[in-house]
Amino acid sequence: MTHWVLIVDDEEMIRENLKAYLEDEGLRVMAFESVTPALSWLCDGAHHCPVCVMDMRLPDIDGNSAIRILHQLYPDMEFLIHTGSSSYSLPDDLRAMGLDDDCVYQKPLSDMAPLATAIRSLSSRENRS
Amino acid sequence: MLALLTGTEAMANPSLGINEWPALLRMIFWFLAPVVLITVASLLWSWLLRQRVIHRTRQLHRELGERQQAEAALRESEGRFRDVTEAASDWIWEMDENLRFTYLSERFFALTGIAPQHVLGRARWELATVDLTIDPQKWRQHQETLEKRLPFRDFVYRASIGDHVGLDRYLKVSGKPIYDSQGQFIGYRGTGTDITEQVKAETALQESELRLRRIIDLVPHMIFAKDRDGHFLLANRATAVAYGLTVEELVNRSQRVVHEIDEEAQRMLADDRQVIDSGASKMIAEESFTDHTGYARIMQTIKIPFNEPSLNETAVLSVAIDITEQKQAKEEVARMRLYLKNIIDSMPSVLIGVDPWGYITVLNQPAEQACGASWEAAQGRFFGELFPQLESQFEQVRQAIRLGSPIKTPRMTLEDQGELHYADVMVYPLIADSASGAVIRVDDVTARVRIESMMVQTEKMLSVGGLAAGMAHEINNPLGAILQGSQNILRRITPDMPQNRAVAEAIGIDLDRLNCYLEQRRVLHFLEGIREAGARAAKIVADMLSFSRRSESRFTPVDFEDLLETVLRLAASDYDLKKKYDFKRITIQRDYDPTLRIVYCDKTEIEQVILNLLKNAAQAMAEEGSPSPTITLRTRRESLYVLIEVVDNGPGMDEKILKRIFEPFFTTKEVGSGTGLGLSVSYFIVTEQHRGRLSVTSKPGQGACFSIRLPLGREAK
Repeated sequence: MTHWVLIVDDEEMIRENLKAYLEDEGLRVMAFESVTPALSWLCDGAHHCPVCVMDMRLPDIDGNSAIRILHQLYPDMEFLIHTGSSSYSLPDDLRAMGLDDDCVYQKPLSDMAPLATAIRSLSSRENRS
Repeated sequence: MLALLTGTEAMANPSLGINEWPALLRMIFWFLAPVVLITVASLLWSWLLRQRVIHRTRQLHRELGERQQAEAALRESEGRFRDVTEAASDWIWEMDENLRFTYLSERFFALTGIAPQHVLGRARWELATVDLTIDPQKWRQHQETLEKRLPFRDFVYRASIGDHVGLDRYLKVSGKPIYDSQGQFIGYRGTGTDITEQVKAETALQESELRLRRIIDLVPHMIFAKDRDGHFLLANRATAVAYGLTVEELVNRSQRVVHEIDEEAQRMLADDRQVIDSGASKMIAEESFTDHTGYARIMQTIKIPFNEPSLNETAVLSVAIDITEQKQAKEEVARMRLYLKNIIDSMPSVLIGVDPWGYITVLNQPAEQACGASWEAAQGRFFGELFPQLESQFEQVRQAIRLGSPIKTPRMTLEDQGELHYADVMVYPLIADSASGAVIRVDDVTARVRIESMMVQTEKMLSVGGLAAGMAHEINNPLGAILQGSQNILRRITPDMPQNRAVAEAIGIDLDRLNCYLEQRRVLHFLEGIREAGARAAKIVADMLSFSRRSESRFTPVDFEDLLETVLRLAASDYDLKKKYDFKRITIQRDYDPTLRIVYCDKTEIEQVILNLLKNAAQAMAEEGSPSPTITLRTRRESLYVLIEVVDNGPGMDEKILKRIFEPFFTTKEVGSGTGLGLSVSYFIVTEQHRGRLSVTSKPGQGACFSIRLPLGREAK
């Protein structure tokens, strides 16, 4: 079963650039501009998606809530946060899910390599389990 | 004589002879003989008679002469007596057997002015001028004495003449009884004298003494005289009171007996002897004297050699003034003066006291430092002479005094060694009882002006920070697009990636040649430029975001050694060719306080601060090309703060730079190499976010030391 990397970001060029970079890294990437289409894509049940890169300010549901929903639906899913908000801090319940400050990536990312490395390591953890 | 001659002739004649002429002759003889005889006899008789008469006459003459002599002598004696009685200061009086005056010499009237008719015929105690009621006992005794016919001496009485009391005369009489040849008492005779002047003088003397006594008793100072053995010869009441005695009790007693503190008594005695022996007075400016209650007073004493009339040897007269309160007051004044001086000295303001003519009366310490002259040296000099930049304030001084209200000149610009300073100058009028003047207060507000401008900048930054925070998302997304886009572009044109080659081959492009083209047309360079510009823009946004105030939620207990090590690692990886420094070349010396582990702070922000300081030090040392660049990281625990010092041995800074180093956008670096925000962001983080302090000390050529102080407690905002 193919492992997908899910990206939710409303900024098209960010989305595209992340997708391009990660694909160049050999990952399969699905990118959405909001949460709702991503959820419906996941709900097909056809795609296994161990890692999700989540933006915070999104047009329909905010990133934190989206993570809570996704976590409820897919408890094994790992999250990385990619936000443009400088004052973002992780809510406690998200920390309880196992997220920490290392999962937070501040925009703009001048080098996407660390993000790619993190995704790769999270996917492999998924693989082991 | 005739008879004698006749006789002689008769005797001579016998030579004629009786023979011749016998009868006749006999007859003649017989006739003649009786005649001759009678004649001779009568002659003899008359001679004898005459002799007797002569003798008697002589006798009478002699008696007469003697009598005349006696009379003259008597007259003379009487005259002398009269002269004496009249010329004597005393008068003579006589009384009859009934003790009534019968005689008064003229002198009485001359002396007393009492007419004799008021006196003659009366007894002394019957005189109208005498008031028996004054001392009836005395008069009774006198009367008895006289009635007993006894002599008396020096009976003094008062005779009033006229109504005026001041005209009273004091008379002194002496007398003795006189008796006639049969021993019968016929009265008194005696002398009298007017002793009014004497009595008055005596009374005056007594009064004067009494008055003097009262005066010295009224004097609150101690006045006393002592002999060389310390016996009190004289003491006023204040002295007696000090010894807890009355004046009578004190006089004639020795100080050793009455003075309880031996040491003081001995010292005073020694002083007394010194004065007596030297004959020179002595002034003792201050000496202790413990009175009978045990209260220690401080006296100022003058000791004067003193010749007591009743004493052969010299004594010493002392006047001791209690200066305890005066001294205390003086000390209090001195203390107050010192206190006030300390207060005005402790004021950071320059304070210059001037009189209405601008002459200096007071300088406080900052003023002394400012003009380089001491208060003493400056006193009386025109203030414009010592403070040339303030000379223009003279008009304000005069106006302030005239109007009686202070005049302020805010933000006066002064130049100090080529540096621009700002000062608030305030002229306060001083209106005291005796003197008027003014105080010129100069506050160097340069720092405040700078801080204010910095605050303005900070406020600007805060609003920028606020804006930036709000817009961060919007700014960071396009920046992300730029940065990530350029990264992807660079990645996707490199011939190294297999995916690139695959696509290129599929469409028939030689990636190596394309790369050559891109190199030649410097496209890659421009792409790199876009990336760097984007990165710098991102950094500026991040820095600007640092200016936004944050909540305490980010404050956590931080292991400070870990934090410093992390920062050192970050700094080491920060090696930047463009910034021309290599952190790995720098020796890092760690001087950590082992007792200091956990500090409550915002970890990332403090990391940022220390990283900023490390970078700043590294850049400064790199620019100067220091031979053995060293940075010392030191931590210390202070009573209220954690001290973190970042010390470099770089070129250091002069004061001009030091004063502005934390100003936003102040940079000594070349344009483009920094945002000019690093240190001001650090300052902001430490002072605003952590309620700490950030300071710097440096001198050109001696490196710099940045000191961060973070509160130990959790008071941080």
